[in-house]
Amino acid sequence: MALLSPETQAEIKKIFEELAGDVRLLLFTQRDSPLIIPGQDCPSCKDTRTLLEEVAALSEKLHLEVYEGPADSEIAREHGINRLPALIMTAEGVRGKVRYFGLPSGYEFSVLLGSLVDVSKAETDLSEDTMNVLDALDKDLHFQVFVTPT
Amino acid sequence: MAIANSRIVADVVEISEFPDLAQRYMVRGVPKTVINDGVEFLGNVPEATFVAHIQQVEAGYK
Repeated sequence: MALLSPETQAEIKKIFEELAGDVRLLLFTQRDSPLIIPGQDCPSCKDTRTLLEEVAALSEKLHLEVYEGPADSEIAREHGINRLPALIMTAEGVRGKVRYFGLPSGYEFSVLLGSLVDVSKAETDLSEDTMNVLDALDKDLHFQVFVTPT
Repeated sequence: MAIANSRIVADVVEISEFPDLAQRYMVRGVPKTVINDGVEFLGNVPEATFVAHIQQVEAGYK
């Protein structure tokens, strides 16, 4: 059964009219298996994959790439991923990395949709002051924003 | 900000799925933002406040 109702899909399509360029969604998830390996359990992997497949199907500008395997697979390591499920959203012109760990549900789902639009535009509405500070950075920055599903 | 700058990695983390991180960063309210494991703040803050936190990181926190 679909996670997104036809009504929700229609609403999302309206939001996706704002998509500018193509967006790559790199999903790192567990291989679908009837076996549960202790310590490698990923209860939300399946739903996350289904949700993103449904979302990506709503616009031809969204390109979902699914990488199955443990969190320490080579491709995951290459992208700095060490937890599952993980999503990287990127597009031409995007300079840093925008990532999402876990199942984006509830309020966070709309945050995800907004992020996809922002990434596709590859532009921000940051102030000039902010841009000046960012341009002058002499350290790499890692932001972690912790949220709960609501 | 991560869209605009190659030195930035921006993560959103669902703490209910990663309780070890919630514990490590002592997350007692959301949204909680941690920058480079050193500077942290709670809630949605104005852009200028966020930038001030970045400058704090730049000034010496690892």
